[in-house]
Amino acid sequence: MASNISADLIWEVTRKFNSSLVKRKQPGGVQFSRNPLNLRNQYTRKYEGSIADKAIGVQAADNGGVTLLTKKSDKAHAPSSHIQSSTFGSSRSTRKTYSGIVNSTTKRGYRPDLRKDAVARASAIRKSQQPVKEDKPAKLRGAKARAAEKA
Amino acid sequence: MSRPTVTIISASGEASKDTLSIPNVFKSPIRPDIVQFVHTGMNKNRRQPYAVSEKAGHQTSAESWGTGRAVARIPRVSGGGTHRAGQAAFGNQCRSGRMFAPTKVWRKWHQKLNLNQKRFATASALAASSSAALLLARGHNIATVPEVPLVISSTAFADAAIAKTSAAIALLKAVGAGADLDKVKKSRKLRAGKGKLRGRRYTQRRGPLVVYNPDEDGKELVLAFRNVSGVETSSVYSLNLLQLAPGGHLGRFIVWTSSAFAALDKIYGSTTEASALKKDFLLPSAIMKNPDLNKLINSSEVQNVLRPVRGGAITKRAVVQKKNPLKNFQVQLRLNPYAAAFAKEKLGEKKIKSDKAKPTSDTFGTLLQEN
Repeated sequence: MASNISADLIWEVTRKFNSSLVKRKQPGGVQFSRNPLNLRNQYTRKYEGSIADKAIGVQAADNGGVTLLTKKSDKAHAPSSHIQSSTFGSSRSTRKTYSGIVNSTTKRGYRPDLRKDAVARASAIRKSQQPVKEDKPAKLRGAKARAAEKA
Repeated sequence: MSRPTVTIISASGEASKDTLSIPNVFKSPIRPDIVQFVHTGMNKNRRQPYAVSEKAGHQTSAESWGTGRAVARIPRVSGGGTHRAGQAAFGNQCRSGRMFAPTKVWRKWHQKLNLNQKRFATASALAASSSAALLLARGHNIATVPEVPLVISSTAFADAAIAKTSAAIALLKAVGAGADLDKVKKSRKLRAGKGKLRGRRYTQRRGPLVVYNPDEDGKELVLAFRNVSGVETSSVYSLNLLQLAPGGHLGRFIVWTSSAFAALDKIYGSTTEASALKKDFLLPSAIMKNPDLNKLINSSEVQNVLRPVRGGAITKRAVVQKKNPLKNFQVQLRLNPYAAAFAKEKLGEKKIKSDKAKPTSDTFGTLLQEN
C-alpha cells in the first residue's frame, strides 16, 4: 500500500460503494458484507476485513472443520499472496480449534479485538456441521389416537 | 509502508528481477468527490442531442368548440366521417396530443469542466488503481494477481508479439488476470428497459484496462485486445477518466506495460517539477501527508502533549444508575464508613442493654418515710 493510502482513507472512500456491501431496502436498514474476512458479516469499520491492514476470517472448510484466514499486513500490494490460511479439521476438538485460533491471532497481538467474534464464528460453523437430529414422531392424541388403535 | 518500487512481471507471469520506481502520480491524493464530479461532467459531454419532432401532436387543424356544448373547451378535431373528428387534440393530456414541454435539441447537454480539475481527477484515479483494497471494492477479481500495480515487461509486446487475440488472452491469464476475464464474461446480461432497442442490448462489467506506450509497444496489441470481452486498451498519453474510474468509482484494475509505466513520470511530472507534456501542470500534493489515524494518534508528537489519564485505572463514570444505599451495601459503605463495623459487630441485631433499676433496699423506703 502506498504511503498516501491508509486503511482509514480506504474506509472513507468505500463505505458507500463496495462490491462486498449488501444493503437492505429500508431506509436506515442494516448493511451486510459478503467479504470472507468479515467475522460478523456486518459492513462496519471494525469488521470489514478487505479494508483493514490486518484482518481475520473464519470459513467452513470443505470436509468439516474451519479455515482460519489472516491477512499479511506487509503484503497488501500482493493480492495473490496476502492471505494466509490454515485449516482446523473436523477431527480436532472444538476447544482445541478455538485455542488454535486464539493462539495464532490474539496471543500474537494480531487483532485482539476480534478474539470473541472469531471464536464465536468458529463455534457456529462447527455447530452447523453437526448432523441434524430428526424430530421424534409425534404421538397421536384424542380421536386420531383412537382411530389408529382401531386400525 | 511506502513501497518505492514495483516488480516487472515477465510474459510468462513470473516476477523478474527488474523493478521500476513508482511514479509520482501514484502519490496523488485520493479524492472521490473530485473524481465523481469530473466523471459526471465528462459523461455528460459524450451525449448526443435528441428531441421529439417539432410537429408531433400538432399535425391537425383542431379548434376549440367554445362554451355551451357541454364538453371541455380543449381544441377538438374538426370535420366528420371518422372517429377522429370531435376528439380532443394538442394538449399533453390528450390521446395523440403533444407531450408536455416537448424536448428540444438545444437543451444544455454539455458541462464545462476545468482542465486542472480533470487532471486532478485523472491523477487521483491512477493513484487509487495502486491499492488492492480499492480494486477489490470496485469488484475486480484480483485474487491471482501477483502485485498491484501490475506491470508487464514491454518485451512481451515487442515486435508485435501480441497481435492475435489468442496471444492477448494467454498473456492476461499468465499474469493472473484470468479470473477477472471470466467474471466479466459471465456478467453479460440483457439490459433492462428500452436501451435494448437503441443499440445497448447487453450490460456487462468492466475488466482490466491495458495501458501501453504506443511509441515502444506499437499499436498491434489494440487489435489483439479489441475482441476480449470487457478489456479496454488505452495509450498512456491519453488516459481517460471514464476508463480509469468507471461509474465514478475509484480502483480500476490496470495492466501496465513497463514502458507505459516508465513514461508516467514524464507525462505527469511531480509536485515540484512541471510535467513535460502537459502545459502548466504540477501534480497535486496531499493536504494530509499521513492519512493513517492510528499512526497519528499514537505518534510521539501527539502523545507528548496529551495530559495523563486522570484517575488511573478507576475512572468515575458520568451517568450511572442511582443505587439504593439501604439495599446495596457497597453504596452504603461509601456514604457511611461506620456501616462496616456496625455490620461486623452485628450491632443491629443486639438487644439494647437497659439495666433495670435495681430494687432499692428496704431500709431506703423506711428512711425516706421516717419523718
